[in-house]
Amino acid sequence: MTVLILTAEEDVTADMVVAHLNASGVPVVRLDPADLTAGAELSVEYGRGTVRGHLSSGRRRVSLDGIRSVWVRRPGVPAARAAEPSPWLTQEAAQALYGVLRDCGARWMNDPDAARRARHKPWQLRLAQRCGLPVPATVITTVPGAAREFAERFPDLVVKPVSGTHPQEPPQAVPTSRVAPGTDFAAVAYGPTLLQRRIAKRADIRLTAVGTTLLAARKEIPPDADPDEVDVRFAAPGGPWRPAEVPEDTARRVHAYLHRARLAYGAFDFVEDVEGTWWFLECNQSGQFGFVEVDTGQPIARTIAAWLAGTA
Amino acid sequence: MQPFALNYARPAAERETATPYVYDAGLQLNVLLDGRIAAFDHALLRELGTTTSTAGSKTHFDD
Repeated sequence: MTVLILTAEEDVTADMVVAHLNASGVPVVRLDPADLTAGAELSVEYGRGTVRGHLSSGRRRVSLDGIRSVWVRRPGVPAARAAEPSPWLTQEAAQALYGVLRDCGARWMNDPDAARRARHKPWQLRLAQRCGLPVPATVITTVPGAAREFAERFPDLVVKPVSGTHPQEPPQAVPTSRVAPGTDFAAVAYGPTLLQRRIAKRADIRLTAVGTTLLAARKEIPPDADPDEVDVRFAAPGGPWRPAEVPEDTARRVHAYLHRARLAYGAFDFVEDVEGTWWFLECNQSGQFGFVEVDTGQPIARTIAAWLAGTA
Repeated sequence: MQPFALNYARPAAERETATPYVYDAGLQLNVLLDGRIAAFDHALLRELGTTTSTAGSKTHFDD
């Protein structure tokens, strides 16, 4: 039985898992949906009440009933590298590939429908609340008056994208940013805006969940850190990530979150306040993990490989 | 008419150096010029930041 990994060639983080699978003798087919019709093939036949078919990429081939698990890592846009790519061809390729795979009986990391739902940040906040995870006071609004009123109640605020995406023309990044006192909120009328009470943090926490295994890492905030640097992705490098114990209550709530979200993998971002409370910020259903493993030595890739192989 | 959040946008950081590894379809892994598996070189991964949570990626937003 084969592990099917949907990801781009340059995804060196996926390599960390492939290497473990290779070492365990677990067959792997690594396929980038972008290569469909240009190096990757799909063929499936439905008839006499059965379905059979195969996928191939390069010299590797797997039959539909031979897929043990599917890892959706960083797949390219289906058929993006076809000889004559088009939005229509992408739709066709996506429907063919994911439509076929959805019913192949394999376990998914993560199920595409669950993954799509789990990407919604507002949904994440509500699910975290329901699971008992502390969530900072948050407003999402297109009403400037609502933003002003929220800022009166919570004067120390951050703003971040609702979707987690970033503008591409031109390429820009929108980090979580502190909102200065007295800011004019008129532009809230031009787009849904997510404002959140800033948590004065003493550490960032990245908790990587693989199946039932939770691996947390903590990055302490230096005492002289700029309080305006609220987004760890943009802050000065600082110290390394270090392994951290997951509080029992948090572990129980994270497991509840994963169960209700139907996720086999999740990368949770928390901030730890001065009292030690872990405040939920978000859960990225395909969040990066390589940088945590590199710093902490935690066996994240090995745990993912074991889950995909069905031994965890 | 710019949405509020874009007041805080900044140019996306572009990777300045090419990655010193290439994909080997036979191994299904990226390998360095000397044939070593890139994923095993943690110092290199740390230096390149290719496994790091980043913002502004063109290809994904699940950091």
